[in-house]
Amino acid sequence: MSRRVVITGLGIVSPAGSSPDQFFTNLMAGRSGIKPLTCSFADQLSIKIAASVDDFNPSEHFSKIQLTGIERFSQMALVAAEQAVQDAQLVLDESEYSRAGVYMGSCLGGAGTLEDGYIEVFKRNNPRIKPLSVLLSMNNAAASHLSIKYCLQGPNITYSTACSSSAIAVGEAYRQIKHGYADVMLAGGAEAMLTLGAMKAWEALRTLAHEDPEDPGASCKPFSKNRSGLVLGEGAAVLVLEDAERAIQRGAKIYGELAGYDCSSDSSHITKPDSAGQTRTILSALRDAKLQPSEIGYINAHGTATLAGDIEETKALKLAFGADAYKIPVSSTKSMHGHLMGATGAVEFMAAILALQHQAVPPTINLQQADPECDLDYVANQGRTDIPLNAVMSNSFAFGGTNAVLIARRFVA
Amino acid sequence: MSSLPTIQRMMVEQFDLKIESLTPDATLESLGLDSLSVIEFMFNLEDELKIKLPDERVEIKTLQDVTDLVDRIVAEQSA
Repeated sequence: MSRRVVITGLGIVSPAGSSPDQFFTNLMAGRSGIKPLTCSFADQLSIKIAASVDDFNPSEHFSKIQLTGIERFSQMALVAAEQAVQDAQLVLDESEYSRAGVYMGSCLGGAGTLEDGYIEVFKRNNPRIKPLSVLLSMNNAAASHLSIKYCLQGPNITYSTACSSSAIAVGEAYRQIKHGYADVMLAGGAEAMLTLGAMKAWEALRTLAHEDPEDPGASCKPFSKNRSGLVLGEGAAVLVLEDAERAIQRGAKIYGELAGYDCSSDSSHITKPDSAGQTRTILSALRDAKLQPSEIGYINAHGTATLAGDIEETKALKLAFGADAYKIPVSSTKSMHGHLMGATGAVEFMAAILALQHQAVPPTINLQQADPECDLDYVANQGRTDIPLNAVMSNSFAFGGTNAVLIARRFVA
Repeated sequence: MSSLPTIQRMMVEQFDLKIESLTPDATLESLGLDSLSVIEFMFNLEDELKIKLPDERVEIKTLQDVTDLVDRIVAEQSA
């Protein structure tokens, strides 16, 4: 069985905006959500910037009783999902519950809860740890809360493949519908890892960007000669994916068709990105979408702004697209929303879908002088409107070597 | 001395419940508390009152049930 899959709802809580409209407006305007950390532990960090979601107020969305059992990453997932479900005007009748599911991505789940528990046990020698710690912190909590809230009785799985987690979640959800195991899927990712322990661990790995002394918001500089790494972020993004026939029958608004996906592995090194593996994934996704490379009008790059990552991705794009690689606008929106880890793939695919919808391409900001080894069109500093787009691609290349590529195209019934 | 006022105060603080709703015969379910929020609440009560509630399951339906349990444990553990 092979069916077409469409995107009918979007929801997002991110450092660059907490609705799809606000998010895309900010991206097009080149507004950065990266800023100095104001939290209590900022002094204990060497790198004191992050892409935090400062305007997220849980009490606007949940009662205190509910908050007892819902961690920050699950809170953001629930808020993003509600936006997406409303946007899609999705109503499931009881007979459809078992044909609807949820796939989410997360790297560290409820990192804050786990760290709070560790502080009690290891630092304060407190023998008591909060009784709901397991339920708050488990990686699959966000997806499970979505399943419970929306009666999603089909598959409920959480993927944890580092930076590609939520791209995999979206892609695997697409396959569930495509191959007839489900008719509707909520898919995305959630991450809330701006905690002292997690940030220290990232600092130690030496992949974080140094703070730009003049403008902290400009610290993440993908493809730039003076790039120094990624900026950690938090947030959630959820998409409603639907069997195209179902969406047409109910007259749903359709953002586009999820036309192609592939997931494959570098199988070479735990951190070092590998253009050969990335190229394999891109080409397989294009085959799945039945598209020629030249038909892709915009690529949302993985573009982490690490030294090796940006060069390797540039190589992969050249290998996959040949001479067309130089003609296709490629941008890294991480320059604005930071790296949301387990949520980033879904956030960036959403940026690509919104680009398709608006026929506009968001920029890579902070790109004054490109690295000579990064010589593609990265849409430097200025977004472009009135760009005819038929198909768009989003790349996610993870630590561990798990690559994922998603392709959306304009839907023609 | 009954622990009811302490329990009521903590429920107001922890769950934003209205003090008027916290009558002794109010069921926890009617207050919107599920089994997990009750577990969290009992944990906080242990901290507040420096007591150790029994591990075995005790039937607790109303605020009075919570009060009776806590009062009994307070009496036993301060004896």
